[in-house]
Amino acid sequence: MARIGVFVCQCGVNISATVNVEEVRDYAKTLDDVTVSKEYKYMCSDRGAQLIKDAIKKHKLTGVVIASCSPRMHEQTFRRVVEDSGLNPYTMEIANIREQCSWVHDDPKKATEKAKTLIKAAVAKARWLEPLQSSSIAVTPNALVIGGGIAGIQASLDLADSGYHVILVERTPSIGGRMAQLDKTYPTLDCSSCILTPKMMDVANHPNIELLTYAEVHEISGSIGNYTINITQHPRYVDMDKCTACGDCAAACRLKDRIASEFDMNMGKRSAIYVPFPQAIPLKYTIDVDHCLFLTRGKCGDVPACQSACVRKAIDFSQKSVTHERHVGAIIVTTGYDLTDPAALYEYGYLKSADVITSLELERLISSSGPTRGEIFKPSNGDKPKSITFILCVGSRDQTAHEYCCRIGCMSSLKHVFLLREKLGDEVEINLCYTDIRSFGKGYEEFYRKIRGINTNFFRGRPSEVRPINDQLSIDIFDTTTNKLFEITSDLVVLVPALEPSITSEGIARVLRISQSPDGFFLEAHPKLRPMDTFTSGIYIAGCAQGPKDITDTVSQASGAAARAMTILSKKELEIEPLIAQSNEDLCSGCGICVSICPYSAIELIEDKKGTHSHVNEALCKGCGACCSSCPVGAMQQKGNQDTQLLPMIKETV
Amino acid sequence: MSIIDLTSMAKPQEDIKREINQRLLKLKEELPDYCYQCAKCTAGCEAHKLLELEPHKIVALLKRGLIDEMTNSDVIWTCMSCFKCWERCPQKVAPVEILFALKNLSVASGKQIPGQYTSILQSVLTIGLIQDIQTITSKEGKTIDRTALSLPQLSKPLEPMKFQAVIAQLAMEKI
Repeated sequence: MARIGVFVCQCGVNISATVNVEEVRDYAKTLDDVTVSKEYKYMCSDRGAQLIKDAIKKHKLTGVVIASCSPRMHEQTFRRVVEDSGLNPYTMEIANIREQCSWVHDDPKKATEKAKTLIKAAVAKARWLEPLQSSSIAVTPNALVIGGGIAGIQASLDLADSGYHVILVERTPSIGGRMAQLDKTYPTLDCSSCILTPKMMDVANHPNIELLTYAEVHEISGSIGNYTINITQHPRYVDMDKCTACGDCAAACRLKDRIASEFDMNMGKRSAIYVPFPQAIPLKYTIDVDHCLFLTRGKCGDVPACQSACVRKAIDFSQKSVTHERHVGAIIVTTGYDLTDPAALYEYGYLKSADVITSLELERLISSSGPTRGEIFKPSNGDKPKSITFILCVGSRDQTAHEYCCRIGCMSSLKHVFLLREKLGDEVEINLCYTDIRSFGKGYEEFYRKIRGINTNFFRGRPSEVRPINDQLSIDIFDTTTNKLFEITSDLVVLVPALEPSITSEGIARVLRISQSPDGFFLEAHPKLRPMDTFTSGIYIAGCAQGPKDITDTVSQASGAAARAMTILSKKELEIEPLIAQSNEDLCSGCGICVSICPYSAIELIEDKKGTHSHVNEALCKGCGACCSSCPVGAMQQKGNQDTQLLPMIKETV
Repeated sequence: MSIIDLTSMAKPQEDIKREINQRLLKLKEELPDYCYQCAKCTAGCEAHKLLELEPHKIVALLKRGLIDEMTNSDVIWTCMSCFKCWERCPQKVAPVEILFALKNLSVASGKQIPGQYTSILQSVLTIGLIQDIQTITSKEGKTIDRTALSLPQLSKPLEPMKFQAVIAQLAMEKI
C-alpha cells in the first residue's frame, strides 16, 4: 500500500496568483493513497525542504509528488531532498503547475482545475514508481587526439601537462598542420613557425604524449570512459630509429626535384623520399608510396638510389603497415580544413593560367623557407609582378558553393597585402576585391585600417571573371563604392578560397559515429553552450574540424576541448543516470528498429541463448526514449517512464 | 598594371591624388584612404538634401583617383562648408577639406566654375567683400542702410590694384 505525500508550492505569487493553492492542497488529500498534503510559499527553500523531510519521516511516505515548477528547474533539488530523508530519489514525481499551468492561463478557476488534474496524474504515476539505482563505470585516464595541427597540438599539450596520457594520431608524416605552412600570423605578424615549432618540440619530448604519425584511426569500440581504438600506421619504408634526417637519400633520389611538394601547395618540388619541411616532427624521412620508382615499378636502377646513399642503412622496403590498439577514456577530433578547389568556380580561371593562385600558394611564395625563398615571381614566367589582385570569398558566402563565411580570408588577405608591400615596395599596384571586410578579432580592425593606409586599392564587389590576355590577367569588377565598372589588368591574381572540412572528416565521422552539420563540419552539441561537445559523450571537437576559424579561436577551442575531456578523465568512475532504456529480452523480437532509431548508437543486437535481441549500452544511453516509442512490441522500456507508470497517468487525465 | 573605368575609359590620376593627399597631410587631416564608406557624411550632409552632394562618393572617387570627373562637375561647388562631415567622420576623414582641394584644383586648371561663384570672386577682388553693401526696403516701404541701423561704414580698398595683387598671391598659396 503506497503512502504518498503531495507538496504544493506557491512559488511566491508565480503559482498562487492564478491557482488556488489551498483548494488544490485540500483536493490532493482526497486522492487514494495520499497520506499528507501541504502547501508552502517556496518549496525549494531550506524551510520548504525541511517541511518535505519532516513529512516523509512522520508519515513514513513511500512516494512524493511535488507540485511546482518544471523539472528542468528543480528536479535535482527535490531528488536530493527526498534522498536526504532516506527515500529513493526516483520515487519522487513533479507535477508542473507553473510553466504548464499558472504561467500560461488567466482564468483562476480553470487553472485550479487543471492543477488538480496534473496532480492527480502525478499521484497515479507515483503509485507505480520503483526505486532505481545509479551505476558507475571505471574510466581509463588516457585521451586520443586525432589530427596534429595547432588544435591537436594544443589539446594534447594541455592534457599531457595535466597528467593524462595522450595518444596523438597524425595522418601525414609530420605534425604542424596548416599553421606550419604559414609565413606570418595576423594581426601581430609573428613568424608562424617560430611560435609553432617550440610547441611541436614540446609534443615530441613530452613524456605523457605518444605521437603516432603517418597513421589513421580505423576502428573504435566502447563508450565514454572506455574506448578501444585501432590505429593503422603506414610504412615509411625508413627505419625511424636509424634515420638521422641527414638528407643524403633525398639528394640521391632519381626523382629529386620532380615531385610536386604538398607542403608547398605544389609550388615547389621534392624527391620521392622526403621530409615535408625542415622543422618536421618527427624529423624522419618518408618514402612516397605513390611516386617512388622502386615501390611503383619494382625497379630503381640496380639498387634504389636512396638505399645506396644511406650510410645508416635506414631504408627498409620490407616495412608493412602496423596496427596499434590503444585504450582511452575520451577523444578529441581536430582534423582541420582543406581549401575549396577554386577550379570549381571556372570563371576565375584557376586552371587557365599559372598566374592565378590560391592564398595558401601565395603563402608558400611569401615564406622565406618556401620554394622561392620568399621572392615573389609570376609562376608562368618568373617575372616580378607589378600588379597583384586579390579576389576574396571564392566559393564562400555563395549559395552555389559554400553558404558560410571562411572567417580567415579577409584578415589573411590584409596580411598578404602588408607582406607584399613590404617585399615589393610602394610601386607595386595591389588591388583587393571584397564583399565585406570582416575584421572582428582583437587588433583586427586596427590592422585593417593600417592596410587601408598603405595604398591598397579596395574594390567592393566580386569580379565576374578572370581572363588571361597575353601574359596578363584581365578582371572586370563593378565597384559598389564608386558605382562603376572597372577593368583591372594584373600580373598575378590571388584567389581566397572557402574553407572545407578536411577530406578525412567523412571517414572520421563514420568511424567515431559523430554527426556532421550540412556543411560537413562536425556538429557541436550546442552552438553556444556546448561548442566543443559532440552528441556522443566522451568525444569532443576543436579547431576548423568544427567550423572555419583562425588560429586564436582554434587554440582557445582546443584548450576548451582538453578541459572538457578532463571532466571525464579526472574521475575514477563515471556515474550513470538510471533513467535509461532497458530491453525486455524475452519480449524483444530482434527487429532492430530501435538500433536504427537511436541517435547515440547506444543499442546493438546481440545473439545468445534467448535468440537475437536488443541490448542497451548503459554508458551511451541518454534516456531520450526514442527507442521505447518505436518498439512495436513494447519490449523497450525506459526506467522511470515505463508503460506501467505512464498509462495510469493517462487514465486519470483523459 | 592598369585600372580603367570602363564607362568613361578614365584611368586613375595617381599624381593628382598624391597632391591632394599631400595637401590634406599638411592640414593635418586624415588620408581619404581610411574611408570605409559608411556614408555617415552623406547621411548628415546639408547640401545633400537640396543639391545631391554625396560626400562619401567624393571620397570614394578620390580614393580611386578619378579626379577629373569631380573637378569637371558642378556638384563639388554645392558644399556649404558646414564641416559637419569633418566633425562626425568615424575615421577622421575630412570630406569638406577634400572638396576645398577639388575646388581649388578646378580653379587652378581654369575650369568653368558656376556663374554665381565668378561674380563673388569678382566682388572679393575689387572690394574685398563677397557682395557690395546694400540698401534694403522694409515691409513698411522704408529704406534702410547701415547708417539707419547705426552701423559703422565699411572701408574699401584704397588702392584696388595693390589689393588685388595681395589677394591673388594669397589664393595662389592656398591652392
